[in-house]
Amino acid sequence: MGLRYVQPAPGFKEYLPKDYVDLIDFGPFGKEVDVQHLGDFKEILEEHPMCAGCWMAYFVRVFYASLPNPEDTIVLGTAGCARLALSQAAVPFIYGNYGDTNAVASGLTRALKIRFPDKTKDVVVVAGDGGLMDIGFSMTMHSWFRKEKFTTIMVDNEVYGNTGGQESGMSPKGVQLKMAPKGKKFEKIPATELAKQAGCVYVVKLSPTSVKRTAKVIRRAILAARHFGPTFIHAYTSCNIEYSIPTEEVLKDAREREKKDFGFEEYMTDEVREFFEEIEKKKEVKK
Amino acid sequence: MYYVARVDEEKCATYKCKQCTLFCPEANTLMFDEERNTAYVNEPRCKGCALCVYVCSDLLKRDCIEMVMVTAEE
Ligand SMILES: Cc1ncc(C[n+]2csc(CCOP(=O)(O)OP(=O)(O)O)c2C)c(N)n1
Ligand code: SF4
Ligand SMILES: [Mg+2]
Repeated sequence: MGLRYVQPAPGFKEYLPKDYVDLIDFGPFGKEVDVQHLGDFKEILEEHPMCAGCWMAYFVRVFYASLPNPEDTIVLGTAGCARLALSQAAVPFIYGNYGDTNAVASGLTRALKIRFPDKTKDVVVVAGDGGLMDIGFSMTMHSWFRKEKFTTIMVDNEVYGNTGGQESGMSPKGVQLKMAPKGKKFEKIPATELAKQAGCVYVVKLSPTSVKRTAKVIRRAILAARHFGPTFIHAYTSCNIEYSIPTEEVLKDAREREKKDFGFEEYMTDEVREFFEEIEKKKEVKK
Repeated sequence: MYYVARVDEEKCATYKCKQCTLFCPEANTLMFDEERNTAYVNEPRCKGCALCVYVCSDLLKRDCIEMVMVTAEE
């Protein structure tokens, strides 16, 4: 971890696999890449076994391209679809037991502060709706109550995708799933409201239909977590298999859901707002 | 045999819009060549979802990408 560990030692580069060398020469390490240039640079995410046309896989792609400091980031995931891609990137990845991601991330964030007091290390949890709002609910909530300084991103496909279609607390009311044949009886858990009540300093709900906005939110969440407290992003990342969405229509679906019940919402504390205003002012001065 | 996206590079170069590259779910797959001004597909990585066709044809009405069947030898 750290730029020094990513760069190959002199004389060694020619023996490394091409994908790694491309990453050093054309990748995002040590520089700030603009996600709107996706397709122009070598991405840190590699090939992975997530389904064709998966919107969660798409989100993971944008996520890795949005990290403010990929060489100093640790990503935590758990059982569930996203980890199939999260684990295939040139960023250290920790596989937490199902449900305990936010407890592991709490310990890790604190340990990094002790081990590297003068360095910035980012810890980000990326886990499913089941992982964070059902089985990991108490550990997610308690990490927020304790004001642990890391980012939690919920990739919400409104189902247990990886295990074949059980309903989750985040499935919408009335929806019929393979293993909820009578239709779900309860409303979606109001995850972002809970996050605000529990003390998150930056909370966003979004459907990732704009790369620019998604990247901005991910960077903001990570930067705010460095200084102020827990941050949370709730992203709609459909499961085209369990919800029978034709692959070529997943973007259309994401846009429709954005109009319906996944409209963009961004909450932050006054302190965080001032911090972003300050950073944005500095950027303009640099220009 | 499998299904992949293929870019009509001549047509694509007339637009240089770089929108499809922002929506492919796969990393390092639908790339943009700055010199030739066109998007192109790294075919062995393409999973054949046709999302890029939706972006190019349905949203932008530019019709520069089509899905084609290829064999492993091709
Ligand atoms: C403690 C524990 N209980 C149950 C499981 C089985 N399990 C694996 S993935 C999964 C559901 C994943 O759902 P979600 O978190 O929404 O992620 P998705 O696959 O939908 O992305 C379950 C129940 C497990 N791995 N560990
Ligand atoms: S078909 Fe899907 S995987 Fe292939 S290039 Fe187009 S968007 Fe990417
Ligand atoms: Mg899920």
